[in-house]
Amino acid sequence: MQELPVSVRRALHRLTRRLAIGLFLEVWPAWAVGSLLLAGTVVLIARLFLPHLTSIVPWFWLAPVVAAIPALFVCARRMYRPAHVLAIADALAGGDGLLLALSERPDSAWTGAAALARVATLPLPRVRPWRQLRLIPPSLAFLAIALLVPQRVTPVGAQNAIASHVVADVTAGVAAMKKEQLITPEEEKKLEQEIERIRRGAAKRVDASSWEAADAMQERVAASLATKQDAVKWAQQSLARYGAAAQAGANSSSGTTSSMAADAAELTKALSRLAEAGMLNGAPSELADLAAGRGSLPTDSATLAKLQAALGRFLDERAGRLAAAMATAKGGRFDASEFATSSDTSPDGDGDPGRGGVNRGRADADLTWGRETQPFDRFKAQALPPGSVRSPDDWAPIAVLPGAPGGGAETSRSVAPRSYAAGAGQEAWRRTLAPRHQSAVKKYFDASH
Amino acid sequence: MTNHTDALPAPEVMADVQARIARLVDALRRVMLGKEQTIDEVVAALLARGHVLLEGLPGLGKTELVKGLSRTLSLGFRRIQFTPDLLPTDITGSHILQERDGRKDFTFHPGPVFTNLLLADEINRASPKTQAALLEAMQERRVTTFGETRSLPDPFFVLATQNPIELEGTYPLPEAQLDRFMFKVDVAGVDRGVLEEILLTRVHGEPPPLEPVLTPADLRDVFAVVDTVHMPRAVASYIARLVAASHPGDAEAPEPVRTFVKYGSSPRGAIAIGAAARGMAVLRGKPNVGFDEVRRVAAPALAHRLVLDYTARLEGWDGRRVVAALLESISDVERGLPQTLGAR
Repeated sequence: MQELPVSVRRALHRLTRRLAIGLFLEVWPAWAVGSLLLAGTVVLIARLFLPHLTSIVPWFWLAPVVAAIPALFVCARRMYRPAHVLAIADALAGGDGLLLALSERPDSAWTGAAALARVATLPLPRVRPWRQLRLIPPSLAFLAIALLVPQRVTPVGAQNAIASHVVADVTAGVAAMKKEQLITPEEEKKLEQEIERIRRGAAKRVDASSWEAADAMQERVAASLATKQDAVKWAQQSLARYGAAAQAGANSSSGTTSSMAADAAELTKALSRLAEAGMLNGAPSELADLAAGRGSLPTDSATLAKLQAALGRFLDERAGRLAAAMATAKGGRFDASEFATSSDTSPDGDGDPGRGGVNRGRADADLTWGRETQPFDRFKAQALPPGSVRSPDDWAPIAVLPGAPGGGAETSRSVAPRSYAAGAGQEAWRRTLAPRHQSAVKKYFDASH
Repeated sequence: MTNHTDALPAPEVMADVQARIARLVDALRRVMLGKEQTIDEVVAALLARGHVLLEGLPGLGKTELVKGLSRTLSLGFRRIQFTPDLLPTDITGSHILQERDGRKDFTFHPGPVFTNLLLADEINRASPKTQAALLEAMQERRVTTFGETRSLPDPFFVLATQNPIELEGTYPLPEAQLDRFMFKVDVAGVDRGVLEEILLTRVHGEPPPLEPVLTPADLRDVFAVVDTVHMPRAVASYIARLVAASHPGDAEAPEPVRTFVKYGSSPRGAIAIGAAARGMAVLRGKPNVGFDEVRRVAAPALAHRLVLDYTARLEGWDGRRVVAALLESISDVERGLPQTLGAR
């Protein structure tokens, strides 16, 4: 091919590059579509069944790029050989065949032929990849949809998450104690075992007992911290008293000396309590010796002041750590701020713990149904006047209606029908009667005939 | 026909040969008006030293073309009018008992086949036995009679004509004999303009007088140049794929071939395409064969070599149409452009 004119060789190089591009665009889309579909399927499986693959799933966007590697390998194997390029160039230039002939039988006499000039100015074939690329957008959409599918949390994972949530507060409390160096390794190990036991129980089944166990442990941790806090306070107070006694002992009175000895014994006891509570970790050696009973409190004021200052700093530092740990360890599940304190804000009493409504309040509150009478505005007992029974004879006519029969009962029973039979009966009948009485009246007068 | 030289013909040589052939073509075009394509095919076959079967209706100038060819080439010319009672010896010649110097002896009297250019007019009217007499002559370029083999003059061409109508009393050429013709050229009718020109230029219909434009020596030189025309491997591959795809069992065979072709072309068809393409290249002044020459000669070289199924006739398919479908489906380059590239 070296015998061909430079312009022809350049045209052939350009055609070779274009053919390589075309070949890649012919091979790669199939690989890209396959990789996208495969990646989408894997992502779907990961989303549904393999939550631990969540972190690597977004990298599946690179599937088409990875697919380019085998595509390039295939292209390298199917690459157009020079003979192919020459044949294509010759065919594109009109099929004259002179290019092919000169490549096989170089002949400078024919290098200026018009057919070669056509090859030199050969327009490169246009890249039309759309037909091959038409399946990539749907495949890409499939992968995108697969990536958009929310990660399905398996029941085991959810149970574990709930179990971790149950012991979260107590775990935080223990961690705070460990951070503040307020816990011995033995205590830490014991607490962690207990936390793990609760967590395992909650992982199997979460019920009220799980929360109660976590709350109880939280309270124990808080109590332990309170105990340590008390020990520190006792030590601080004992140190203060001993310091005062030592100051007073400078006057060398016997009464003061006995008081100082008692204060010293109390301080020693308080230090021992501190040591038992594990609060002397990292304490100055003289304090540790004192707590272990290996030394005695100094009597000279200078040494005593020095010891007092050291002990005071140590206790202050411990008190600060305890306060910080307490702030974490006392954080329970109940947060009062979550419940509105004003009972007037909702007609249902919603907001007040134990007042019913949508928010029934915390479980340890008294169960009420809302709007119950408060003790202070209950009805007071009121004595009613004594009752009386009226006699049947204690009566008096209130009114006499016109037309009422007069005289005694016998008279009226024998005379009245005769004298009023025609008219009075009719009158009575015409009289306005209640409908329920009409039949009785009619029956009375009909019977009287 | 193989190319043994290592260099392409020089441009000036090609130009000289092309000019000589152009004179021949011009002369033939004056004889046969409006038939440039037919003349090119006949000349290409002549340059390739192949035999041509001209098929067409009576009066289209087939015989005049052959006669014009003989006149312009200064070659020996004989004409045989094939009839049903024609005998093989009427073609090849025979031994005749003659008395010479008091002795009676069989003397060979050569038949009309002993010539350079043989016009076998209406070849399908002779019996198969007589047609077969041409077989050896066409293929081997020699004749054997009474056990004696005699070579035919060089060059030797058979240009046969046949009439596609009036088939009663005719004997269609067998496939084996058809295969020996390099080209089967269909001579179609002429258009109105050509007819007008014929009427104006030819009072009695006779062709204009022709002068020889090529001597036998010139013709030998032309043949030598034709032999040096280079055929690139890619073009040879194209011819091979074309001929292979003419068989219905080939993987690349197009649907019309699978449907209508019973038997595809023989290797002789590929050889004929290659040789004729060389002739066509020389006709065009090219030192090499290109894809275009192959496409140009494929139809006349292949169409008569395909044995078509009876359904082809029912569906209106003939050999040329099948070859056209073949050319349409087979890419000229063995490995074409990727699907993502389109020629502008």
